[in-house]
Amino acid sequence: MSLSMVAKYIFLTWEMTKSSILSAMEYRVSFIVQVFGMLVNDIALVAIWLIFFQKFPSINGWQFQDTAMLFALATVNFAIVMIFARGAFELSKTIVRGELDYYLSFPKNVLWHASVSKTDISAIGDLLFGLIIFFFSGDISLEKIGLFAVIGVLTALIFLNFIIITQSITFYVGNFEEAAEQMFHALLGFTLYPQTAFYGALKIIMLTIIPAFFIATLPVQLIQKFNLEFFLILLGFWILTTIIATIIFRRGLRRYESGNLINVKM
Amino acid sequence: MNEVKTLQNGSGLFGYKFLKYFEIAKVNYFNSSAYLVNLISRSAIVVIRIWIFTQLYKVSYAISGVSEIGGLTVAMVVWSLMMTQSFQTATRPQLSKIIDEEVKSGTLAYSVNRPYSYILFHFSGFIGRSIPNLFINIFIGSLAALVLVGPIGLSWEALLFGAILLFFGYILDFFVSLIIGLTAFWIEDTSAFTWIYSKGQLVFGGLILPIALFPDYLQKIAELLPFSQMYYGAARLMVHFEPTLFLKYFATQLVWILFFGVVAYYLFNKGIKHVSVNGG
Repeated sequence: MSLSMVAKYIFLTWEMTKSSILSAMEYRVSFIVQVFGMLVNDIALVAIWLIFFQKFPSINGWQFQDTAMLFALATVNFAIVMIFARGAFELSKTIVRGELDYYLSFPKNVLWHASVSKTDISAIGDLLFGLIIFFFSGDISLEKIGLFAVIGVLTALIFLNFIIITQSITFYVGNFEEAAEQMFHALLGFTLYPQTAFYGALKIIMLTIIPAFFIATLPVQLIQKFNLEFFLILLGFWILTTIIATIIFRRGLRRYESGNLINVKM
Repeated sequence: MNEVKTLQNGSGLFGYKFLKYFEIAKVNYFNSSAYLVNLISRSAIVVIRIWIFTQLYKVSYAISGVSEIGGLTVAMVVWSLMMTQSFQTATRPQLSKIIDEEVKSGTLAYSVNRPYSYILFHFSGFIGRSIPNLFINIFIGSLAALVLVGPIGLSWEALLFGAILLFFGYILDFFVSLIIGLTAFWIEDTSAFTWIYSKGQLVFGGLILPIALFPDYLQKIAELLPFSQMYYGAARLMVHFEPTLFLKYFATQLVWILFFGVVAYYLFNKGIKHVSVNGG
């Protein structure tokens, strides 16, 4: 894929998301309720750890500030995926119902098109929350903002790859919708807790099947103290998951059976 | 020649019959394996969650240098979290979403004309759905807790009084969820209320952090809120029974049930006035 092609796809992604957001904004009350509802929802999540750290001030060196940074990053990378590529989270459903036909009839990349076709409006609340928490988390420098942005996007892409891989298993085993959703929630679940509390086999799960280490533990360490070696590991993991996601989706697509559905999208 | 034809047809028929049963077997196999994948994934998540709690609280208690906080040991904390999580997740899919859909789609208009109480109809459905999920959750959760932290002393009275609190906890959850669903009569999207409600349960419902581990002043407030009276009360009593605690939780529960029951009934009656049934 050439660089100009990548730029074109980024531009198209932006335009499609913009039009989804603008159409959702037509229902003003609903839009505001969703965004602010999510903001309150996220604040409640932080509240629980505020209480926890009053009882246990430090978990192997992990303090409330670390949890705040973890939440900032986790909500931002989650929001990026859900705002720009909510459709990826519904791939399994789309495959099972034979609704991929619609995207197959377009000249653009099927996976990209199916992914960017939906936007989760409430995720704008997550994004706002993540940014607010980040800016209130202490010593903010221009360098740290840049680092947060780069790592936020990189971890969002890893997160997206994870979603594509788990959702695409449906091509091979049939009904994997609920299992894929459970795996997604397991990954999100890991990002709630102090990352230094885990050890042994659970740590191995975090490094492999449910790669929370790469979207939460390592990125938070990187933002707090940059280390080129760790950054390259993160970059390498993104490349690896991109290759796996592409292969699994492409091979799966060959097994896809049309639902013979004729849909008109308005 | 005819004989040959008959034979051919016969074997064809046999082949066809065999193929038919093979196909039926295949469909059933894939059907059950589809559910099996779901069941395994759901159970795996429960196990992972309990595993996370075990490691988190083992490390936290070890750092604090204590073996008991607020009357609870690490094992009791893990068992109580397993229970609250099992009790709460058993109610899925969320009732508020079901009611919300019915209000928006107009299905409610058909239901209210039928010879049964709409509220009782949904209550029965809510309990009926929750029971099988509850048993599966508790079974898998208990196995995981047994392996990870070992057994805790469960007495018959603890289980009995805990079960009473659990039943009334389900009634309380039902009324609050019903109210959230019914707000769809006036508000386009009720999902924000559902999120906030579930987060209220997460913070004050002992789903991640048992209220016994809260600072004293917050513990007093949390115990008076409806969130703790849904599932935390039952779990807390089951892992460590105290008769006075039962009376306190039960009284608080009844007050909240009465309050939300009246609100739900009022909103329902007000809401159905908005319903207009068109023939056709």
